[in-house]
Amino acid sequence: MSLKTVSGNSQSNAMNKGSSGLYSRIEPYLLLLPAFAIFGMFLFYPFFRTIYLSFFLTDKFGNAKVFWNIRNYADLFKSASFWTSITVTVKFVLGVSIGSLLVGMITSLLTADEYPGATFAAGSYAMPVAIASAAASMAFRMIFHPTSGLVNNVFGTHINWLGSPEWALFSVTLITIWLQSGINFIFLSAGLRNVPKELYESASIDGANYFQKLFNITIPSISPTLFFQIVINIISSFQTFSQIKILTQGGPGDATNVIVHAIYRDAFFNFRFGTAAARSVILFVIILIVTLIQFKFEKRSVNY
Amino acid sequence: MRKFLTLCISLVLLLGLVPAIAEDSVEITFWHSMGGVNGEAIVKMVDDFNAANEGKIKVNVEYQGSYDDAINKVKAAGMSAMPADVMQIYDIGTRFMIDSGWALPVQDMIDKDSYDISQVEPNIAAYYTVDGKLYSMPFNSSTPLLYYNKDAFKEAGLDPETPPTNFDEIIEMAAKLEKKDADGKVERYGFGMGNYGWFFEQWIGKMAMHYVDNNNGRGAEPATKVAFDENGGAVEIFKVWKKLYDDGVIPYLNRGNTEAKQAFITGKIAITLESTAALKSLLTNVGDAFEIGTGYFPNIHADDKGGVSIGGGSLWMLNTGDEKRQDAAWEFVKFMIAPEQQAFWNAKTGYFPITVATHELDAFKDNLAQYPQFGTAIDQLHSTAPEFAGSLLSVFPEARSLVETYTERVINGELSIEDAVKNLAGEINSAIEIYNLTN
Repeated sequence: MSLKTVSGNSQSNAMNKGSSGLYSRIEPYLLLLPAFAIFGMFLFYPFFRTIYLSFFLTDKFGNAKVFWNIRNYADLFKSASFWTSITVTVKFVLGVSIGSLLVGMITSLLTADEYPGATFAAGSYAMPVAIASAAASMAFRMIFHPTSGLVNNVFGTHINWLGSPEWALFSVTLITIWLQSGINFIFLSAGLRNVPKELYESASIDGANYFQKLFNITIPSISPTLFFQIVINIISSFQTFSQIKILTQGGPGDATNVIVHAIYRDAFFNFRFGTAAARSVILFVIILIVTLIQFKFEKRSVNY
Repeated sequence: MRKFLTLCISLVLLLGLVPAIAEDSVEITFWHSMGGVNGEAIVKMVDDFNAANEGKIKVNVEYQGSYDDAINKVKAAGMSAMPADVMQIYDIGTRFMIDSGWALPVQDMIDKDSYDISQVEPNIAAYYTVDGKLYSMPFNSSTPLLYYNKDAFKEAGLDPETPPTNFDEIIEMAAKLEKKDADGKVERYGFGMGNYGWFFEQWIGKMAMHYVDNNNGRGAEPATKVAFDENGGAVEIFKVWKKLYDDGVIPYLNRGNTEAKQAFITGKIAITLESTAALKSLLTNVGDAFEIGTGYFPNIHADDKGGVSIGGGSLWMLNTGDEKRQDAAWEFVKFMIAPEQQAFWNAKTGYFPITVATHELDAFKDNLAQYPQFGTAIDQLHSTAPEFAGSLLSVFPEARSLVETYTERVINGELSIEDAVKNLAGEINSAIEIYNLTN
């Protein structure tokens, strides 16, 4: 008791402020409170709740009902369809991230110089940003129709683009690349504009050709933008949902059943929140690892 | 300033008046899942009801997306309060709704109102009756039908008045109906169907088999496991799929009905399977391009003795606890199944008229005379015994979607038919087990 009084006194003496000492000590926390309350409510609470639920079976209201230990995880690791969904997700994320970065890179390089029509071209390359993925998916469902779709008619093919295991993932990836190319184009274009012109001029004097300039000047100069865009691409392709839901519903079989779609099916279709939570935790771990690798990589090859 | 004050006071007074006006009028909410032509019809019926009950009852009609979306919304909302007074729910949501305890069985209102329920088609009421109690009011009832392109039949030298009745006949006719171009590419397939889990359930019933145990899920105890693995039904159905696909009789037309319907409308497939509810929209979309014929849903084997069960939806009254609103909701339900409304509904959509008296109305007779195709579905239902009312299962939405996934695995050769049936039954059984454990 006495110790407490002493320490309280010494603190206020040191601060020379008397009664306002307590306030000044808690003031930073008060200022943090609003942000923390929002994060706590929408981020930390759901996060821990998800981990908690992943050890339970839930009733139809989503309440934890039966303690299930690690059986949710064990069942997932034993199921072939879970491993398919992991492989599919990896293929999809790689395809979309690399594909949309390449498309964004090429289109932004094409429109980097001034020429008649460059603005129009830039406008069309940026357009996918403004297109809702659900609306685009509805249109592509018609375009890829197995018997009367535009693609089969134009190319004279008889391919079921969305219904055959060989093509479904490819088609969905292609559509997603197109949808994501717009944002890649915008950021990379902005990056290209910031590369100092003098660098190109002196390189030209030294007799460098286009590709030498591209690999030795352009890409190192825009590496922060490239890194940012790679991170964004990976995150948003992990989150891709509406295309899958509308175009294939994860099918045929599990050929396009990416992990986010599998989570949705478990939680909001089958109403088994426990399995869905277990899948979410696994997805969290995967994304955590990927992000750590990215930041390791950043230190090595990004020049600021 | 004075003006402003007066305005404020009058506003407050006006607000005070509103509850007084609204006192006598009850507002209820109706959720439905009918898009397109069928959705327009439902809105018209609600408008008519509101006009007839001006000042007494007002129904707010809200479209909630597909059946799946709507039931998932009520599941999510049901955790706090009932979001609607009357709701359209699909056939396979029946067991879930009964188990949830959210529903107010319409039997309660029938008893309270001494309503004469005998005018509802017995075959249809049978589906929604569990343990002698009618849980929801049949509204939009359908069965699957076989639709065919009569012009293509004539062209192929087939009798346009005799549609196929089983898959042996379908395969035989499809060979004649198929049309190839100069390069040997198929221009028109003889047959094609969507990969729709509902058809699987219907074929089980057609073979007079059960889908699940405990009297097909209709017993006092809910189902505990599927029956289609042990009774061999699933193997027979997968065999047909595999044969059709491997022999190139059908193109794969994806899950659900959308792609198959479009392929039929554009003349790319000559025979297809679809719900009776698609009849009006098929007639409208095909127009004069060709003549549509309708036939009974095909048997798996020529000698199958079972029948089709009804699908579609029914009107569920949700237990809001507010007696006034429940009475208003009951008035609305009665209106929706009245003969005049059902005649309109039948003509605009293709769903059955669920009230027997509808058959006597001129509106119904005129429509049938103009489009005899509407009659096939009614005959098919009448030729089915009520014992084939179909199965009830709590996890039906999941089961149906698993059936579709496994059908794809079979036709794509990922799994043998026997393994597919084993895994499919295993997955559904564990879903049932977990559901029974937690609810």
